[in-house]
Amino acid sequence: MSCLNGTDCREHIKRHTALAVLALMLVIFLLLSAWSFLPSRNQTIPSVVQYGDVDAVAGKRVFQAYNCMGCHTIVGNGAYFGPDLTKIYHDTGPAWLAAFLPSAGGWPTTAAVQVQLQNPLVQKEAGVADIDAYRKQYPGAAERMDHRGGQHSLMPNLPLDAGEIQALMAFFKYTSAMNNEGWPPKPDPDRRLPIQAASVAAAASAQAAPVAAAGSSPSDAGGAVDLVAAGQKLVGDLGCVACHATDQTRMVGPGWGGLFGHDVKLADGSTVVADEEYIVRSIREPDAQVVEGYPPHVMPSYDALVNEADMQAIVAYLRSL
Amino acid sequence: MLKIEYVTQRLSLRFFMLMLVLFAFQVAFGLVIATQHVDPTLLAGVANFNILRAEHTNLGILWILSGFIGTILFVGPLLSHRELAATGLIKFLFWALLAVTIWNVWTQSLAAEGIAGWWAGQPWLQEGLEYLEAGRAADVVIFVGFAILAYILLRTFPPRREWNEIHWGLAIGVVALTFVWLFGVFFVERIDLQEYFRWYVVHYWVEGVWEVIHISLVGFLLVLMFKADVKAVGYAVFWGVAMVWLSGLIGNAHHYFWIGTPEFWQFWGSLFSALEPLPLVFCFWHIYLDAHQDRKPLENAPAFYFILGSVVLEQVGAGILGFTMTFALTNVWSHGTWVTPSHAHLALFGTFGMLGIAAAYYAVPLLRGVKNFDQRLGRIAFWLVFTGMLGIAFGFAIGGTIQVFLYRSMGLSWFGGEIFPAMQFYKILVPIFGLVFTTGAGLLIYDLLTIGYRSRQAPVEEPAAAVRPVRGRWSAQLRGVEAGLWLMGMWIFGAIITLGLLSFNLEVVAKGDPTIPYVLGGIGYPGLLLITLLFVWRFLASLEARPAPAAQAQPSMAPAAVGQGT
Repeated sequence: MSCLNGTDCREHIKRHTALAVLALMLVIFLLLSAWSFLPSRNQTIPSVVQYGDVDAVAGKRVFQAYNCMGCHTIVGNGAYFGPDLTKIYHDTGPAWLAAFLPSAGGWPTTAAVQVQLQNPLVQKEAGVADIDAYRKQYPGAAERMDHRGGQHSLMPNLPLDAGEIQALMAFFKYTSAMNNEGWPPKPDPDRRLPIQAASVAAAASAQAAPVAAAGSSPSDAGGAVDLVAAGQKLVGDLGCVACHATDQTRMVGPGWGGLFGHDVKLADGSTVVADEEYIVRSIREPDAQVVEGYPPHVMPSYDALVNEADMQAIVAYLRSL
Repeated sequence: MLKIEYVTQRLSLRFFMLMLVLFAFQVAFGLVIATQHVDPTLLAGVANFNILRAEHTNLGILWILSGFIGTILFVGPLLSHRELAATGLIKFLFWALLAVTIWNVWTQSLAAEGIAGWWAGQPWLQEGLEYLEAGRAADVVIFVGFAILAYILLRTFPPRREWNEIHWGLAIGVVALTFVWLFGVFFVERIDLQEYFRWYVVHYWVEGVWEVIHISLVGFLLVLMFKADVKAVGYAVFWGVAMVWLSGLIGNAHHYFWIGTPEFWQFWGSLFSALEPLPLVFCFWHIYLDAHQDRKPLENAPAFYFILGSVVLEQVGAGILGFTMTFALTNVWSHGTWVTPSHAHLALFGTFGMLGIAAAYYAVPLLRGVKNFDQRLGRIAFWLVFTGMLGIAFGFAIGGTIQVFLYRSMGLSWFGGEIFPAMQFYKILVPIFGLVFTTGAGLLIYDLLTIGYRSRQAPVEEPAAAVRPVRGRWSAQLRGVEAGLWLMGMWIFGAIITLGLLSFNLEVVAKGDPTIPYVLGGIGYPGLLLITLLFVWRFLASLEARPAPAAQAQPSMAPAAVGQGT
């Protein structure tokens, strides 16, 4: 115990020694810290990571502004409500992220990712141009498209605009490129999965098969009812309903309920009637006639994915709502 | 009973009341986000999880700070033998704290729209960094508030040659509180550098500053409550603080394993943060010694219950559970999973929250001049929040162990439907024990808000207490050997948990067999939490069974002995 009786027990010397050791530790700590951030460490730096013409610093600002860390973790820090995002870009690639981020409330379908892959910037950043090569390069995207495509996600839709999405992609590209000293740990490739092993294995073998349900043609459909049913299936497969409600609810894009035949106010102030021509054009060239109150450049063009027969079915379905 | 000799001590009352109100809101937010974990669609799109969680963590920090301020203002005059300086500033501090809290609750909600208030490169409204969510505007006000607190305390204290270790501890604590805050008020572009500095605030606050304030305040409250020897407490305060810094300074490196900083931190962090429990063991030992300084019955049972809870949960939550995940080889698994909030909840609420509540239970009856307040509510409330928090920690820990296996070892997808159902039972445990906790929190808040105002005053149960017989061995005098055995038991369960986390490195686990980590975690966590519960029960039974002296003379505490220099 202490020197309660006032005898000299060298308490002062001990205390001074402790403080001296503490000072030594401070020096060690500061030296290690300085060493950690030297350029020779070759750690990736956000200001040099670009996605298109946006750098990852802008993305970090978006990441913070939406408090993404309040649900997800980044480098393992944050909340534990959603998955870790550090290597998400590496796993799922830019096309999947570009399809997911504007309408996070729904998981992107293969077609929705395919549409993004038509964008030259996404193609360039992904390093591949067609969806099969993309699935091979980004197995995380393939897994998500096969198991969850078209379903509801547990993430709410966020009001991200096109610029913010691009910035976030730059940020995720940066964190994926970082050296995190082996974290998160990589699962053993020979592991025996405890649950849903069969479905995962089945999905792996089915990877090569073409998934594009969008390509299936409703030409054999006889009546109008069949056309509407085919259209309903198509808007699900294409991932349209991740952004558009079938009633008048505003989601990421305008709702479809009661749209057909009614006036639509456009962002340029003009008004058009939502007839067949307008709907077809909105699908093939979404930026040509943007609805008032909605940001442009959010919806990609589905021109290459929807043939004439499919388009007829989609129009029939929208007309029925 | 201690008489209030200094009128300015009464200024502490409003901070205790504010603490209780903020605590109530924090618990409410916590209950909602725990339920959102069970059903993620709850309020999704209306009140998103990230915002509610930011409110939960920020209010947690703010009410703990409010409790610290109240306690410091209460003991300041006792340590200085004079009134607090700058009372106008204290009143300003109260309103500033209230205003900044309301402001911050509002600005956090802007994250749903992605509004951070960027101006001059800084996010002025909210900045979306865990624990440091407050925007720059609030940061500045908080900094000014800390500076005011430091100024008030230093102006109140006697000349420096009269300081003892408690003065030093508190003075260094409040100055460092202000200084360390500055590391969190810059936007940093690099995420590795940002995390490096973010942990300066989070780790050095908790480990370097709050811990110092905690040790000093616990020490002084023990002096007040048990007439513990000031020199003995001063010795404990100095070496407690010294060990906290000797281990915690480099121990901060356990946050630098995976954020993009070099590998060598894994060596330094594993080594030094393994030493971090040492001061906690030391502090734990001293509360045993000091609580046995006199053999009188507890005058103020709730206050001591919460002090004991604070020191024991510091040992278990910060010390043992922190230790289990502090090595690079265990942290690589626990990092970023549910395993960590079991540690965080026990450590933060346990250590610092319970200290604030203990101080309130000590001070509020004195400030309201209530003799013999009804201590039953406080006792019940303690047991409810204590078991509630242990249960919450259990849900997090076991749920987290399952999560580590399925998410990290098996690589299953988080929201893809595989991990959620596997954790669901433990997810449900969190709001269930949360309700237990909420009941206790509600009781103690009601009790403390209304002590002295309730019409039915304390039943005169003194005679009953006096004749309460010593009931068998469970309430026999707790001796040092036995306390040591209990402590060892806790650490044995801690070792089992550590081995459990370590076993994720085994090839058999990586190949898909979770038996070893599940069995070790399934023994370690419930064992640790149960032995903690039993130990606190045993300790309190021992104290409650102390025979009251025949003539219970209650000499008013002579603070003259307290504030003297060493």
